[in-house]
Amino acid sequence: MSTTQTPVAPAQNALVDPKNTAPVVELNNVRKSYDEFVAVDNLSLRIPAGGIYGLLGPNGAGKTSTIRMIIGITVPDSGTISVFGQPLSRSHMDQFGYLPEERGLYKKMKVLEHLVFLGQLKGLTGAEATTRARNWCERFELTSWLAKKVEELSKGMQQKIQFIGAVLHDPKLIIMDEPFSGLDPANAIGLKDALLDLAKDGKTILFSTHRMDQAERLCHSICLINHGRAVLQGDLAQIKAKYGHCNVQIKYNGDARFLKESRLVQSFNDYGNYVEVRLAPGADPQELLQLAASCARLSKFELMEPSLEEIFLEMVGKSSA
Amino acid sequence: MTVLMVLPAKLATMGAKAEHDVIVTSTPEFGEQVRQQLNSSLAKDSDDDEPGSDSNAKTKPEDQYIFDIDANPTEAERTALRDKVNSRAIDGFLWLTDDAIAAHRVTWAGRETASFRERTWLSDSLNRILLERQLSRSGLTSAQSDQLLQTVRVDSIRIERGKESKGNGTARVIEIVVMVMLIYVAVLLYGISVMRSVLEEKTSRIMEVLLSSATSTELMTGKLFGVGAVGLTQILVWVIIGGVFALPALAAQASFGDLQISPFALIAFAVFFFLGYLLYSTMYAAIGAITTTEQEGQQLQFLVVIPLVLSVFMLAPVSRAPDAPAMLWMSMIPFFAPILMYARIVLQTPPLWQIALSIVLMIATEWGLLILCARIYRVGVLIYGKRATLPEILKWLKYAKA
Repeated sequence: MSTTQTPVAPAQNALVDPKNTAPVVELNNVRKSYDEFVAVDNLSLRIPAGGIYGLLGPNGAGKTSTIRMIIGITVPDSGTISVFGQPLSRSHMDQFGYLPEERGLYKKMKVLEHLVFLGQLKGLTGAEATTRARNWCERFELTSWLAKKVEELSKGMQQKIQFIGAVLHDPKLIIMDEPFSGLDPANAIGLKDALLDLAKDGKTILFSTHRMDQAERLCHSICLINHGRAVLQGDLAQIKAKYGHCNVQIKYNGDARFLKESRLVQSFNDYGNYVEVRLAPGADPQELLQLAASCARLSKFELMEPSLEEIFLEMVGKSSA
Repeated sequence: MTVLMVLPAKLATMGAKAEHDVIVTSTPEFGEQVRQQLNSSLAKDSDDDEPGSDSNAKTKPEDQYIFDIDANPTEAERTALRDKVNSRAIDGFLWLTDDAIAAHRVTWAGRETASFRERTWLSDSLNRILLERQLSRSGLTSAQSDQLLQTVRVDSIRIERGKESKGNGTARVIEIVVMVMLIYVAVLLYGISVMRSVLEEKTSRIMEVLLSSATSTELMTGKLFGVGAVGLTQILVWVIIGGVFALPALAAQASFGDLQISPFALIAFAVFFFLGYLLYSTMYAAIGAITTTEQEGQQLQFLVVIPLVLSVFMLAPVSRAPDAPAMLWMSMIPFFAPILMYARIVLQTPPLWQIALSIVLMIATEWGLLILCARIYRVGVLIYGKRATLPEILKWLKYAKA
């Protein structure tokens, strides 16, 4: 592990959610190591209330370690964690709904019993838990499986059961570690819809994933971590605006001398009447459009938003260069 | 369980055929005398309040042994008898000629050499016969010699907390054996299920969800009491069923009339059994916490079994000298206390402070072990993959200090 100390994301503070409501979760300089391996290194992050927050990073970046500390399963070596504006304590446990990455249920238990058990663990009454479990199972079309043993269910179904178990007690903060892994597309959509509904209800959702495209579509804010450090964090749109080297696709007919304008164009890939242009840092695409229009006939001018993946790869490339 | 206890004794007597033996004497009269004495001592023997002979009591002594008398003490006859034994016509013969008696050496010959029990019985009976013969030769009537040969019976009376209690030694032994058996069975059958359930949570990964709802100490305590209660309920059902079937039979047994268990011993039994069961179950839970598969867990089972077996070995020295300082402190060791301290209470009630101290020590050990276990569980389950080594466990305990 080549840990070149790079001051990443210098404008961190500027990127924090501008609404600046009290964060649901706040980590300050949290560090966690297992033996020599530093899983989380001086991580600070603020998860704003409401909405979906993505914790992103490649495998082994420290996502699960971070989540476990937020839930209180493990304790940070140093740094502080506060939730709902108070230092993390046991009393907060019932307000969390947690879907761990390593799924697991009691295999011999019946589905309904199991859900009620999980609900009661979080302080629901048996009757309340039963009603809610039935409602959720209806939503996920699992009603006919309620009396079956968990081991009779497919893996995807078990995962849905576990998701229901995590949200049954109507937690304020829902934490999902790689919730989509192992789900088929149809079920993934069902789960995504459920998460969006929960977010609409004002719940705060923290989910981790190594798939940037998922995060890009779902999250309002993100924190990108690599080797246990935050590489990028804040509001997704702002991150894109800040770090996105915009690409432009132009279909043109005529003079291509606008490509020579080094003030605007960093590099390009010309196919004759189609060109992909990478804008120079800080360049205004509008200016390029005007310049191009003045010397060529354009049939298409499209601003390509950078994908989070590209941004990430670039940041990681920089930090380990 | 009751079946398991009664069955071997039944089996030992069930298929047994009457034994056919020949008594060789110099005169037929003496042979007849010997036969009568042997039969009568056999009958008396089964009336004795020895627990081992309970099941024999129902079979009459005549059914067990058939004695023939042979008054032809020649070498040829001896060879003939030997052949008969060999061809299984008879089971054995007793060489009791006048010559042999004069030399103070009589011989029992059979396909199987006599068991210890048979040997003592034989020599006791023969000694009595010979004494009677001597006495009658010196002019005493048989009534007089009977009087002389009367044996005394020793009744043991124990002074328990200032009162005389009539329980005999046998009853004490039974109390201790029942304790040992119950602890053994409970620990081996149900303690292991605590380990299994810890392992199940680890392998099914459900513990991460559980840990987000409760602390590991809560989880461990709950598990121990939950699985423990399941075990106790099952044992209780067994004991009740066993009691229903066995009690009438036991009550019919005269010797059990003496078996009076004081309420104090009964309470001690409950307390020590419960604490012992919990302690050993906690050890199983700890094994579950440091291992990852049941096979690995079973390899470490010896950690539980050794103290259990050791305390059974220590029973003999403890019952010989329950008050010796070494025994005292041995019985204070929490892992031995359930059996040894209980044995001491039954044999010779020790001062109350000793009982209290051993109970406190057991509870403290249990609590410590539980916390230790909870920490190992919390850290161990999250860094899974292999069995923990001792240095790793120590490191985990450090991680889990909060």
